Amino acid sequence: MPIDIKEVNEKLRRIVLTGRLDIPGTEEIAIRFAKAATSAGQAVVVDLTAVSFLGSIGIRALISNAKAAQSKGARMVLFVGGNETVTKTLQTTGIDVLIPTFADATKAEQAALN
Amino acid sequence: MPVADPVSELSIDPDSSEFRLASDWLGRAGRELGIPPEQIARLDVCLNEVLANVLDHGGASARSAPIGLRLARKRDPDGADATLTVTDAGSAFDPLAVLPRSRPQTLAEAAPGGLGLVMLRANADSLRYVYAEGRNQLTFGVRWNTVHK
Repeated sequence: MPIDIKEVNEKLRRIVLTGRLDIPGTEEIAIRFAKAATSAGQAVVVDLTAVSFLGSIGIRALISNAKAAQSKGARMVLFVGGNETVTKTLQTTGIDVLIPTFADATKAEQAALN
Repeated sequence: MPVADPVSELSIDPDSSEFRLASDWLGRAGRELGIPPEQIARLDVCLNEVLANVLDHGGASARSAPIGLRLARKRDPDGADATLTVTDAGSAFDPLAVLPRSRPQTLAEAAPGGLGLVMLRANADSLRYVYAEGRNQLTFGVRWNTVHK
């Protein structure tokens, strides 16, 4: 399960996840994802456009890291692009209400920084 | 002479490292049985959540014997359905008896757990649970229309 961390600027970090966020995939990236989402005190956009499967364990990781970022005064948002599978799962579980979710990359970055 | 409904079966070890094997089998067997990709995807979500529940709630006995998977497809004049039955040796646990939790409205209210059942109920068109011969048997199904109007 690849995880790619991009420093957009000193205030914003983008975390790109690719593949299956099922139990093996989420366990594989859990530590790096948590560290990347909270360590720099930056706003974070989590790019889920290339995630092919999102299970409840993957959602737990999103919630946990969004909470951790919030506790450090930073904001984490989700960028889903046109990924219908992930969008549907986030809507079904109501996570899109808890963690701001965007189909547009620019809007996602703006929301993370606000 | 009636033709038997097509079926595919797999047995996996009760370990999360086997879950990918189960998903790969579902994808392959589903295609061979003529199940549409979007329906296989729904079954895959259900399968992963059910397998996670087996390990989370089944206790030591769940890890003592293989987990059985059985995929079946049926057709009728109005459409078709596919069912996947997961059997395990864990403690009796009926996920359908668990009452849905109210949705949190804020991130602070969100608690871990409980989402698997939400996803199972949202993706399955049918759900059935039986405990028999010392094994949990949970069957979830999806249905699709095959009549083109």
